[in-house]
Amino acid sequence: MYEEPYKWVEAVDNRRHYLDEQFRRGSPVVAASYADGIVLVTYARGTPKLYEIYDRLALGGMGHPADLEKLRFTLLEMAHVEGFNRSPSDVTGSRLLKNGLAPIVKQAFEEIYKAPFIVKILLAELGLKAGRDTFLTMNYDGTFEELTGCAVLAASPSAQSSMHAWLRQHGNFNQGSLSQALSICLLAWGVGSLAQREEEQTGTASGTTVSINVTADASPSVPERDVVLRHVRQAAIDMSVECAILARTASGTSKYRALKPNELPELLSLDLNPATNG
Amino acid sequence: MGMQGDFFQLLKEQGYQFGMSPIGPGGQSMPESEITRGTTILAMKYHDGVLVAGDRRATAGNMVMYDRTDKVLELDRYSVMAIAGVPATAYEMARVLEHSFKYYRRTQLQELSFEGKLRALSKLLKENVPAALAGTGAVAPLFGGYDVDQETAKIYFYDILGAEFEGVEYAVSGSGSPTIRGILHYLNTWGQTPLNAQSEQEAVVQALRLLTSAAEFDSATGGINREANLYPVIKLITKNGVTTVPDDRLKLLFEDQVVRYV
Repeated sequence: MYEEPYKWVEAVDNRRHYLDEQFRRGSPVVAASYADGIVLVTYARGTPKLYEIYDRLALGGMGHPADLEKLRFTLLEMAHVEGFNRSPSDVTGSRLLKNGLAPIVKQAFEEIYKAPFIVKILLAELGLKAGRDTFLTMNYDGTFEELTGCAVLAASPSAQSSMHAWLRQHGNFNQGSLSQALSICLLAWGVGSLAQREEEQTGTASGTTVSINVTADASPSVPERDVVLRHVRQAAIDMSVECAILARTASGTSKYRALKPNELPELLSLDLNPATNG
Repeated sequence: MGMQGDFFQLLKEQGYQFGMSPIGPGGQSMPESEITRGTTILAMKYHDGVLVAGDRRATAGNMVMYDRTDKVLELDRYSVMAIAGVPATAYEMARVLEHSFKYYRRTQLQELSFEGKLRALSKLLKENVPAALAGTGAVAPLFGGYDVDQETAKIYFYDILGAEFEGVEYAVSGSGSPTIRGILHYLNTWGQTPLNAQSEQEAVVQALRLLTSAAEFDSATGGINREANLYPVIKLITKNGVTTVPDDRLKLLFEDQVVRYV
């Protein structure tokens, strides 16, 4: 039945709707540069969503844990074989994602008799100097985007736009401290999570162009800081903050470090205690 | 296999072959005099952990090939391998191990155990047996590391076939090792302070004296050359990880506590 072109297009469209639905309740991921590195933040329920890929590369993911694991291993294999056969400096996020991962994910998405990857990927790559960090995001259909300063993953394009708007408004990329970047990223997570919740409540299709927070001129509006902070505190009741850094000043070749839960209160300028909401 | 975190197996699946062929392209074995070799290395316990040191000379027969060789290689935050033997093989082993430890940690989301690291080195040495027996790729390394689970520093040494032995207080390898092995035994048995009770500074001074003694009796061991600012490589492994003793400190200690005795 899919030999007819319009039926194939219809099937792909159905698949897109199915996948958008799978991400609706996913936890967004935020990554941003600060003066001495990159910070990645999300909220997680048990299963980790942030990983070390190579000496200067970190991965953040949304979606099905099994699919994320499969693609994580693919990235790890590609990165380590390349780093061994050539040199660690030849392992770049751009090559791994554009030449390695994206074609695999695109093929799986378009082969409508097979299961697609229910996954969105964020790769953060630490530069040798501040201002040279790069970010790559990849959607479930294999489309990718290269960014500087910050990057986000969320269930819908509109939620991502809201998060980007928040980060642009409050972020001081490449210059601020880890503490500042961490707080801003955590609130950006709250902006994305709130946007997703509103979309779910109003039944807005997440993959479409309609968005709760999009104004008439299509530039996303962002909620008040107090509203976001209250939501972030509320999320701390049944989820835990997961945070990792790529630190330029770290000794040795591996720059990735997952922050321990007891490090966060010292670093965060926010009070995440849900009881504070009153 | 990748799911098991075995990087060496992953490399093999991609067609990688470890080690050199024992037979040259013309069907002949290489003359031993043409093969570059590294020389004296030592590891010893001290109060805070393990010290691993190596001289800087690489030779081929009577020829000094290089006087700035680094034979003490950091594999990860808690492990160091010191090499004696054919550098080409030893550096390849270190590269495989460094990637293997990282790959395991990143895939399995936990550190490879100390025993796992020891086995990984043993496995590579066993892969290298044909070249080792042919005389084209023999390596007899030392492995020093801090076992985070057992909260103790340990030393191991290997023969060229991959057999693994624990050096309880110290271990040595390379052409200058017979000289310093005797000294270490004497110091540890009748010295004022047993090796494992030495302070960091005492251990570093002992290492400088030992390598200077090895160079005195073994032409293949490079001595300290102050004019060229050439000092041994000395690494310390403690519960805080691996640190390298800087040349400036070695220079001061050498001039203050070693040079007057030679």
